Amino acid sequence: MLTKLAGGRLFDPANGRHGEVADLWLRDGRIVGDPGPGATPDAVHDVTGKVVMAGAIDIHSHIAGGKVNLARLLMGEEHDRHRFAGSPCGCGGGSGIATPSTHTTGARYIEMGFTAAFEPAMLGSNARHAHLEMSDIPYIDTGGYLVLGNDDFLLDLIATNAGQAAVNDYVAWMLTATQSLAVKVVNPGGINAFKFNARKLDLDEVGPYYGVTPRSVLTVLARAVYELGLPHPLHVHGCNLGVPGNIATTLDTIQAASGLPMHMTHIQFHSYDTAGDRKFSSGAAALAEAVNRTPSLSVDIGQVMFGQTVTASADTMAQRHTAPLAHPRKWLAMDIECDAGCGVVPFRYRDSSYVNALQWAIGLELFLLLDDPWRVFLTTDHPNGAPFTFYPELIRLLMDRDYRLAKLAEIHPDAPAHTTLGSITREYTLAEIAIMTRAAPARILGLSDRGHLAPGASADVTVYSDLPDRRAMFERPDLVFKSGRLVVRDGTLVAMATGCTHVIRPGFDDLIERRIARHFDERIGLPIKHFRIGDAEIRHGAGPQLHPCRRREVP
Amino acid sequence: MPGGIAAKTTVHFGSIDLTSCSGNRFNQPRWGAMTFHPDTLCPFCGLGCGDVGIDQDDSGIAPRPSGCPQADRLFRRSTAVSTNARMAGAAVAMDDAITEAARLLRAGRAPSIAGLAADVDGVLAALTLGERIGATVDHERSEALFRNLAVLRRFGWSATTLAELRNRCDLVLVVGPDPAAAFPRLWERWVLPEPAFVADGARSVVFLGGEPLPETLQCLAGRIEVNGLDGGAADLVALVGRLRAALAGRAMDGDPMMELAVRLRAARYAVVIWAAGLFDTPQPDLIVEGLVRLIRSVDGTTRCAGLPLSGADNLIGANQACAWRTGFPLRTGFDAGVPLHDPERFDWRQRLRDADVTLWISAFRPEIPLFDTGGAVIMLAPPELAVTPEPALFIPVGTPGIDHAGDVFRADSVVALHAGALIDRGLSSVATVIGRILAALDGAALDGAALDGTAVGNTVGGEAAGC
Repeated sequence: MLTKLAGGRLFDPANGRHGEVADLWLRDGRIVGDPGPGATPDAVHDVTGKVVMAGAIDIHSHIAGGKVNLARLLMGEEHDRHRFAGSPCGCGGGSGIATPSTHTTGARYIEMGFTAAFEPAMLGSNARHAHLEMSDIPYIDTGGYLVLGNDDFLLDLIATNAGQAAVNDYVAWMLTATQSLAVKVVNPGGINAFKFNARKLDLDEVGPYYGVTPRSVLTVLARAVYELGLPHPLHVHGCNLGVPGNIATTLDTIQAASGLPMHMTHIQFHSYDTAGDRKFSSGAAALAEAVNRTPSLSVDIGQVMFGQTVTASADTMAQRHTAPLAHPRKWLAMDIECDAGCGVVPFRYRDSSYVNALQWAIGLELFLLLDDPWRVFLTTDHPNGAPFTFYPELIRLLMDRDYRLAKLAEIHPDAPAHTTLGSITREYTLAEIAIMTRAAPARILGLSDRGHLAPGASADVTVYSDLPDRRAMFERPDLVFKSGRLVVRDGTLVAMATGCTHVIRPGFDDLIERRIARHFDERIGLPIKHFRIGDAEIRHGAGPQLHPCRRREVP
Repeated sequence: MPGGIAAKTTVHFGSIDLTSCSGNRFNQPRWGAMTFHPDTLCPFCGLGCGDVGIDQDDSGIAPRPSGCPQADRLFRRSTAVSTNARMAGAAVAMDDAITEAARLLRAGRAPSIAGLAADVDGVLAALTLGERIGATVDHERSEALFRNLAVLRRFGWSATTLAELRNRCDLVLVVGPDPAAAFPRLWERWVLPEPAFVADGARSVVFLGGEPLPETLQCLAGRIEVNGLDGGAADLVALVGRLRAALAGRAMDGDPMMELAVRLRAARYAVVIWAAGLFDTPQPDLIVEGLVRLIRSVDGTTRCAGLPLSGADNLIGANQACAWRTGFPLRTGFDAGVPLHDPERFDWRQRLRDADVTLWISAFRPEIPLFDTGGAVIMLAPPELAVTPEPALFIPVGTPGIDHAGDVFRADSVVALHAGALIDRGLSSVATVIGRILAALDGAALDGAALDGTAVGNTVGGEAAGC
C-alpha cells in the first residue's frame, strides 16, 4: 500500500522542517522517500495548505493498570453519565471521561491525532495487569515506566550498602521481567515509610526501618538509569507533592541529581510557594529559572484544567493528605506487595477556588517561562490534573495570548496577583507544539522511529487544518494515519488499528537473580518464574518492540 | 428449543461431580513416560499458589499432595476425555456446534452470558460477544464480590495485599467465618511465615464472630484467639458496630471489645480479613461498610488495612477485564453497543429467569451450580462435566493452566498470573471457541486454522500494525 500526502506543510522539527511544503509518502507502515515519477500510489490525499505532523506522543498518562481500574470503579456516577457505543470499524463501546475504558481511551487519543501514550506508573507486582490492559487499548502505541524506590528489595540493597553494581543489576532485571520502558520513582522511600506509619518524609529525612533518605534513593536510581544507559532519564515524582512550600524541596531535588539526567514529572504539583495571606503562591518563576539553566533536566507540567476528574497515584502518602478534599466524598488506598501502593481520590478543580485557580495559572506559567520546548512536555498527568481530552484547550491557551488573558479574568479574583501569568506575552508556535508533542517525546524515550517524518519512521501521521482557533484545530484533525493506515477522517474513526508496546532491556549479571529469587520465595510468596512476563504475553503473542540501551559510566 | 422464549418451561440444571471417582491410578509412581512439573501455578481458588507439583504420564496429570483440597482435586485430569461437542446430547462436529451456537445467539432477544469462569482472554472474548449480541455478563461467583464492591463504589476502601500481610502484619483480625473454607492455604502461605518487618516476629490472629476451622487451628496453633462468640451464631453487623463504638470510646463498661480496640490501636500494622462470600446474613454489605469505616478509624493513627477476599475461578480477573473494557464492573449489559450496569437486574440468577438464551462458561472445574432457566443453554465447560439435563448445546473447552496458558487474577486483585499449559488434550480455549462463534456471526468462513484464539482475545480486531 503506497499513500501520498500531497502539498502539505510539514512540521517535522526532528528533521529541521518548520512548515516547508513537501509531499509525504507512506508505504506499508513506514514513511518512505519520494519513489519517483513512475510510482503509482494506491491513495492520494491532497493536503495543500494543511499542517502535517507526526502522530503526537503523550509521555505521561495514567491509562492502564490497577489504580486506573479502581478509579473506574470508584467513578461509577461519571461512567453512568458518559456511555458510548462502538464504532462500525470495530472499536468497541465503553464509558468515562476521566478514566475512560480501554477502547474509549484509544478512540479519544487517535481522534486527536495522538498515536502513542505511555503509562508512567506501572508497579512490578501489577505489571502483567497493566500489559493486559494496554494491549486492549486500540490504535495507540504504549509502554510502561516501572515504579521503583519504595520496594523493600531496593531499600534493603541501599541500606546494606550492596553497591551500585548490585542496584544496577536489580533495576535491569526488574525492567526485563516486567517488560518496561523506563524507571519512575514516586515519592522516593515515602510510600514505603507510610507502611511504617510515617505520614511525611522530606528529601533529607531518614526513613523508618531502613534508615535511608529519599535523596539517597533518588541518586542511586538516577545513577542506575544513567549507567545502564536507558534512553529515558529517571522519571521523578518527588517528595511533598501538593504541599504549599514544596518549591524548596523541588529545587533541592534538582541539586540532588548533581548533573545526572533527570526528568521531573508533573512539576506544577511541585511548584508551590507560601507567600500571601493564604500561604499559597506560585513558585513557577524560581523553578523555571532552575530548569532553564540545567540542561540535564527535562520536565512535564501536569497542567490543571477546571472540572471533575479523579487523581490516581502510587503516592499513598500524598493521597492520604488529599483524601479529605475528595469530591465526591469517597476515596481508596492500597498498600501493595512490598512494592509500592496506590491512592485514588476523586477531585473537582474549580476556577472559583483560589487554590485551584492558582494551580491552573502555575502550570501555564511554567509552560511559558521554560525556554526550551525540547525539555518541556505537554501533560495534564491524565487524569490527575485533567483528562487528556483537554489537550486541545491547553494548546489554545499556550498559542493564543488574548484567549489566555480572557480566561485569566474568569478565575478567582485574588489568584492573578500571585502569579506572573498576566504579564507573559509568549505564544507557542506550531513548530514549538510539534517539538513538545512529537519530536521531543520520541527523543527522550529513545523511540528513534517515532515522532518524526523522515523515511524509515513509522507512518504515524496527523494532518490538521490551520485554523485560527487552535482548540478546534487540535481537537479534530482532518486525517490520522497509524502505521500507514488511515484510521481517522474528519475527526471520525474509519478503520481499526493496533499499536505496539515499547520496551528496553539492559543486560544484567545473572548473580543478582539468585538474591531476587530468594526474596520472592521468602517474602513475596511466589516463585520468581511466575513473576516474569514473557514476550509471548505482550499483545497476544506479537511481542514488544525493543529499544537499545547504551551503558555509560558516571564521569 | 430454538429461540425458545414461548414455551417458558423452566429447566433445572445441575452437575454431577465425576472427579472424585476418577480412581487412584496416579498414586503408584510409574516409571517410563512420567514427567514432573514443579512449581505449577494453581488458577483455582484465587490465592495464586505457584508451588504445586504435577505428575504427568500418558493417561493424564495428577498433583502431588499440595495441602489444598481444591488443587488436589482439580489438577487431576485424564487424557481419556471426549472432545466432541453435543447437541441435545448427541455428538456433533465442532463446526456444526459453532454454527448452532451462532444461530441460537443470533435468534436470542434476551441473551445472557453467565458463569464467565474463564481466563482473561476468554472473558474479553465473552465481552466482545456480549457487546455484539446485546447480552448481559456476570460471573458465577460474583455475589461475594458485589458485597465488597457496593461499599467500594459508595464509600471507597483501604486495602492491602497478600505479601504485605505476610511480611508487615502484627495483628490479623478475621471477621466472620474462617476464609480458609474458600481459600484453603491462606494461613499456611500468608500468615504462618515469620513476618519480615515485625520487630520480634510475633503476630496474633483474632477471630471475631467466627470460628477457625480445625485445619486453621492446627496450622497456626497457639497464635489464634477467638472473640465475640458468646454462644450461638454471631450477629456480625452488631459485633462490628460494638468494636467501632469501642474504638470511638463509646463502649459499654466491661465490653470485651474495649480490649480488642486497644490492641488494634496498639498494633503497628493490623490487617482485617474477611471473605464476604461466606457471610450468611441479610445485609452483608453493611458488615463490609462497618469494616471499612473501622479500618479508616484505626488507620488514622497507626496502620491498618483490609483484605477483602473473593475470587475463585478468576472472578477478580473477570471483573477487572469487564471494568477496563466497559468502564463498569460485572453485571453489565449492552444496549445497542452502549454498556449499561445494573448490579441487581443483571445478577445472573435474575437474568437467567428471563433470558431466552444463555451462554454458560465454566472452564475451570467440571462443576456448575444449580440454576433454572426457560431459555436455551449453550454450555462451554470441561469435558468431565456431567450435566443434567443435557443443554441445547455442549462445547467442551480446556481449563486455563492445564490445557492452555491463560491469565488469572489473585483474590487480592493486584497480582495477575500467567498459568501455563500442561497437557494437550485437543481442547480449545474459551477465547478460541467464542472467536469462532463471533466469526460465524459475521458470516465468515469457518476456518479453524485461520482463527487463532489469541487473536480473538485481543478483540481489537484490526490487523496488527507493523511495529
